[in-house]
Amino acid sequence: MSRAFPVISVRAMSSVFKVPVGDRTWQRRTGGSPGHPTPAADEPVRDCRGPGIVAGILAPHPPQLLYAENPSQNEPTSEGGWEVLRWAYEDLRRRIREMEPDVIVLHAPHWITMVGHHVNCVPNPKGFSVEPIFPHLLRYRYDFRTDVELAEAIADQASDDGLVTRKMRNEGVRVDYATITALHLLSPDWDIPVVSLSANNNPYFYSTSSLDQMEILGESARKAIEGLGRRAIVAGSNSLSHLHWERELGLPEDMTYEHAYNHHQYRWDMRLLDLIRAGRTRELREMIPEHIRQTESETKAGSLSWMLSALGWPEDVGEVLTYGTVIGTGNAVCLWDMRGRQ
Amino acid sequence: MNDTMNDTMNDTVNEGATTGTHGHFAGAVLMPGMPQLLAADPAPVWAELTAESKHVGTLLRDAGAETLVVLSTQWFTVLGHQVQLDPRLRGVRVDENWYDFDYGTMPYDLRTDVELAEQWAKEIERTGLEARRTHYEHFPIDTGMIVATGLLDPADTLPVVQVSCNLYAGVEAISTLGRAVMDAASAVGRRVAVVAVSGLSSGLIQQWITPGEDHVESARNEEWDRRVLGLLAEGRFGEVMELREQYAREAQADSQLRALAFLEGTGQVNRPADVRAYGPLWGTGGAVVHWAP
Ligand SMILES: [Fe+2]
Repeated sequence: MSRAFPVISVRAMSSVFKVPVGDRTWQRRTGGSPGHPTPAADEPVRDCRGPGIVAGILAPHPPQLLYAENPSQNEPTSEGGWEVLRWAYEDLRRRIREMEPDVIVLHAPHWITMVGHHVNCVPNPKGFSVEPIFPHLLRYRYDFRTDVELAEAIADQASDDGLVTRKMRNEGVRVDYATITALHLLSPDWDIPVVSLSANNNPYFYSTSSLDQMEILGESARKAIEGLGRRAIVAGSNSLSHLHWERELGLPEDMTYEHAYNHHQYRWDMRLLDLIRAGRTRELREMIPEHIRQTESETKAGSLSWMLSALGWPEDVGEVLTYGTVIGTGNAVCLWDMRGRQ
Repeated sequence: MNDTMNDTMNDTVNEGATTGTHGHFAGAVLMPGMPQLLAADPAPVWAELTAESKHVGTLLRDAGAETLVVLSTQWFTVLGHQVQLDPRLRGVRVDENWYDFDYGTMPYDLRTDVELAEQWAKEIERTGLEARRTHYEHFPIDTGMIVATGLLDPADTLPVVQVSCNLYAGVEAISTLGRAVMDAASAVGRRVAVVAVSGLSSGLIQQWITPGEDHVESARNEEWDRRVLGLLAEGRFGEVMELREQYAREAQADSQLRALAFLEGTGQVNRPADVRAYGPLWGTGGAVVHWAP
């Protein structure tokens, strides 16, 4: 059995400042971006087909899920497994299609950047990615399109908002497996442009993300999306409770080994999911740090906080499409459908 | 390994052999894995760390090292202990954080001492730990591994064996890996240099700085680093291990300084070390520390 992962928080940066949730006065200040439809700040920013963030998604990325799908891009093959989680992703994909997004903006925890928040601005990331921990499950040939204009706008906005950022334009940087897995499960045809954000944390130094900074980064993403008039889905890729089996026993997809790590982890995940289902997002925001303390939740990397901050922590919305375990970790596929909402 | 090299090594082994695994030990080093050590235009202290790393590499080779045994905290994993078995690791690593800097693009070409690596995996399993044999084309090699092997052995004369640093493993398990590799070296008749690639305090400066602006991020971190290095220089290794958790808490030591447990496991480092260089690497503390055989 794994032991608890000791976490020491990094010092919060002093140079950041926060924009109140829902504050769109920045649009008046910047005037939006030329060539893109930007609604006036005092008008509804989107209708059913208007621009803005149309949905937020919690999209966990265990490589087992991609392995189980047997896509042609992945070298290893499987007999399946984790079907209920994968069926939820299948349902989700149908709903994503209905939303007709221009772009998926993803924050995932395994593009680890020691200094600052990076945005992938490579127009066509292409390559072969071997998962370092489960190389027998994920060796994937990727090839996708970046919405470079939005990627740069998010980096610029985050920088304006006081975060340390970098625009990554180097084609040699290998795309990490979490980004690949989450994006594949959301859009296996890879026909929706992408913006990929890094995680400013550092597992070998035992540091974790500053959730405050992640909230600012979420607000920056929202401002950039609205400023360019994109219809965007924002996806945060985190598992929930994150203790897991220390050894792989037999065939990876043998589901007889699959269950919650322990009752404590499961109960805390359910407490979190109860709040999501009830749309009690203010309480959820309060609970995330405690859930991390209790379960070593991967949300310590900040992807969930980033995504909800991009949505403006909306009340009375939120669906849990499914919950399942992968080598004992808790994984929920959740959707915040923002269509028709301010 | 070629015959000439084996002959040379056998001579050296016989000369150095005393009892147990001692004759198979060509020295140990603790060194940073930050790529700033490869900078074309380094800060003076980066250059010193680089020069001392290279010098220690010479000492290891002069002591008859046939294989570099490396644990890098930047190869972090969560399941068992991964042992690299790919006989030839070739490629260009572009670091996902430092890609815009000259030192962020690192060509590498490493030969694995497969016989020793296989034996090491067996010895790890014999102790009850899980060894995960890793042999996949395009497997990502970590920055620390490339930095360390490139500086210790710039002419690429020595093969390497490497093990991952499990994020959850306790010091006992990490120490066991060190013991297991000495048993493996003994079993296959190899004289090894044991390398722990790890920083000290890890207060990364969260800004883009110039080399000249680098400094250990806080006075307290530097105080801690110097205290630990002082103890190592005096041969008080046990005291360092006792202080380790507090050091990890208060100065955020790289991977809780568990890499030292790897060296401890060899049974060869509980004596005065030669602290050859210390300085900041983007705010973190880095040192080159050598234990002669
Ligand atoms: Fe993950």
